[in-house]
Amino acid sequence: MTQVLRAENPVSPLVPVVGKIIKIVAEKIDVKTFHVSTPEGEKPFTPAPGQLGMLSILNVGEGMFSITTQGPNHLEFSIKKTGVLTDALHEAEVGQTVAVRGPYGNGFPLDFCKGKDILFIGGGIGLAPVRSLINYAVENRGAFGNLQVIYGSRSPADLVFKEDILENWPKVPGMKVDLTVDRGDDEWKGNVGFVPAFIEQLAPSPDGDKVCVLCGPPIMIKFCLQSLAKLGFKDENIITTLEMRMKCGVGKCGRCNIGSCFVCLDGPVFTLAQLQKMPPEY
Amino acid sequence: MKTVVKSKISALLDEIAKEFNLLVPTAGDGASKFAPYTSGGQVSLDGRTLLPPKDVFFPQTEKMYKFSTDGMAGSLETLLEAPKHQMLFGVRPCDVKSIHELDHVFLTKGFVDEFYQSKRDRTFLVSIGCNGPAEPTCFCQSMGVNPQESDAVDVHLFDLGSEYGAVAKSENGEAFLQKYASFFNEAEVQLPAISEFALKPDVEGITEKLQQMFDHPLWEEVSRKCLGCGACTYLCPTCHCFDISGRVAGNQGFKFRCWDSCMFSEYTRMAGGHNPRPSKKERVRNRFLHKLQYFPERYGDLLCTGCGRCLSKCPVNMDITNIIKQIREVELA
Repeated sequence: MTQVLRAENPVSPLVPVVGKIIKIVAEKIDVKTFHVSTPEGEKPFTPAPGQLGMLSILNVGEGMFSITTQGPNHLEFSIKKTGVLTDALHEAEVGQTVAVRGPYGNGFPLDFCKGKDILFIGGGIGLAPVRSLINYAVENRGAFGNLQVIYGSRSPADLVFKEDILENWPKVPGMKVDLTVDRGDDEWKGNVGFVPAFIEQLAPSPDGDKVCVLCGPPIMIKFCLQSLAKLGFKDENIITTLEMRMKCGVGKCGRCNIGSCFVCLDGPVFTLAQLQKMPPEY
Repeated sequence: MKTVVKSKISALLDEIAKEFNLLVPTAGDGASKFAPYTSGGQVSLDGRTLLPPKDVFFPQTEKMYKFSTDGMAGSLETLLEAPKHQMLFGVRPCDVKSIHELDHVFLTKGFVDEFYQSKRDRTFLVSIGCNGPAEPTCFCQSMGVNPQESDAVDVHLFDLGSEYGAVAKSENGEAFLQKYASFFNEAEVQLPAISEFALKPDVEGITEKLQQMFDHPLWEEVSRKCLGCGACTYLCPTCHCFDISGRVAGNQGFKFRCWDSCMFSEYTRMAGGHNPRPSKKERVRNRFLHKLQYFPERYGDLLCTGCGRCLSKCPVNMDITNIIKQIREVELA
C-alpha cells in the first residue's frame, strides 16, 4: 500500500486539512468530546476503528488522538485536558477552526474479530479508543457474536460516554454493559471496586475463541492481564492500543518506536502476544 | 576510463554552475560543509566534510505550510517548492550510503515524504572515492561501504592522484560525461590500493546478538558519560528524526519541521508526563539499537556508514566502534 501523497492532495501525510468543531460534549470535568467536520460539513477522512488522527488548533499546536468514533459527516475526539493544546481545545467553542490530518495506524484487526464474541474492557478515558470498535460492532451487529463491556472509572462523576454506557449499548441485543467505580457516592447503585477484581468477579468465559479488547491506565492493564490469564484468555486474543508521543504519524520522525515497530504506523493496536516479543519500553 | 586532471576541475565546475545549482564541499566557517559553488571560491575536495550533506534533501528547518487565523476562522496553504535542478558534487561513499538509507526512511513503507522527494528527484549526484581513511576516525569499510567507489550516484570519480577517473553510473551520468567531454581524456588507469583503516569494528552478527541484549547492564555502563548534547545526531549523515513545530505572529503563522534528537528527554515525553525513555540509559540504548538492530530489522541495512563524525566530535569521546567492540565481548548466558 504505497500512498503517494501530492501537495494538492487534501490529506497529505504531514499537511492537515482545515476543519471545524461542530459540537462539543462535556464528558466529565476534564474530558470533552469534539465533533470535527470540514468547513463544508463533510467528514475529513474515513478512519478504520482504532486509527488515529492529528488534530490541531493552527496557532497553538497539534497532537495525536484516537478517533473515538465517527458519524457520516464527522469524526469524534475525546480529549483530556492535560497540556497547552488540550487546554486550548477545552476553551474552544463550537465553530472553532481546527486542522486535522490522518488517518494513521493499523486500527483494530476487524477480520480477526468478526464472527467472535468480544469482551471490551476500559478504564477511565481508555474507553475512548475502544469505543471506535464497540460502535463499529454495534453498527455491524450481525458480524459479531455476543458483546460485553466492562468499564470502570474512579468515581461515578468520572464515567465518560454516559449516553452510550447507560442507555445506548445496554439496549443492543446480545450486548451487556457492566460498570464499576473505585469509590461510589450516595446515588451509585452499581459495583464498587477496581476493574481487575470486577473482571474476576464477573468471570467472563474465554470459550469460543473470545477476543478481549482493553485499554486504560498502565497499572490497570497490568492487573487486568493477570485476571484475564487466570480466566484462560489466550495472548493472541488479548488486544490493546498504546499511546506514545508522535509528530509525523507515518513512521518517519522517529520518536514513537518500540524496538523496530513504530506505534503510529505498525500500531497503535497490538495483541499481547505481539507485545511480549517487543522491548518493554512504552 | 575517462579522466580529468585536477587542475581543470575549477573550470569544469564553472561550466556546470551555468546549468545546475551546484553544491560543493567548502571549508565553511570552521565547519566544512556542502555549500553553493562560487567561481573562484573555495572548494575543498580532499577529505570529507564535517557536516553531512543530508540537509540538501532534509533541511535543518523546513517550512511545510503557512496559516492565518481570524477569531475562530482559519485557513492554510502548503509550502512545497520545486527546487531547481541541483548537483551535489564530491560526495564521499559513506555519505552516498547515508542518502540510500534516508531514501528508505522518507520514500518507503507506505508513505512518500514529498518534501524530501522533491529535492531528491532533482539532485544529480557526483561522488568522489577515497583511497583509504579520509580521517583517523573513518571506518566505512567495516560498515560494508567500498571507500573507493559508489554505485548509487550519477557520476563517480576515482581519485587517481593528479587526476580523477570518471565513470557514469546512470543515464543522466552518461549524458553528463558526453556533454562535458572536452574536459576529459580517455586513458588506461590503475586504481590505487586502498590503504589500511585503523578502525575496524566487526559487525558480523551484531543485530542478532543485540536482540538478546535489551536488558544487558552494558547500556548503563556505556551511557554513564553521555552528556545528552545530541551533537552525534546532528552530525550523523543518517539520523533523520524530526520535530514539527510552529511560529505564530499575530494572526499569521507557519508550521515547520526541524531536526530533532533522540538524546533529548522531551523527544518522547508525553503531555501527561509519562516518558518511555526517561533517562539517558534508555536514550543511549535506543540510539545504538536503532543503528545496529532496529533499522536493520526494518530496512535490512545498518544505520551507520562509518563516516566517523560522531566519534570525532563527541565531547566525551563516545565511540560507536568501541561500543561495537564491547557488544562483541559480551558473553550471553
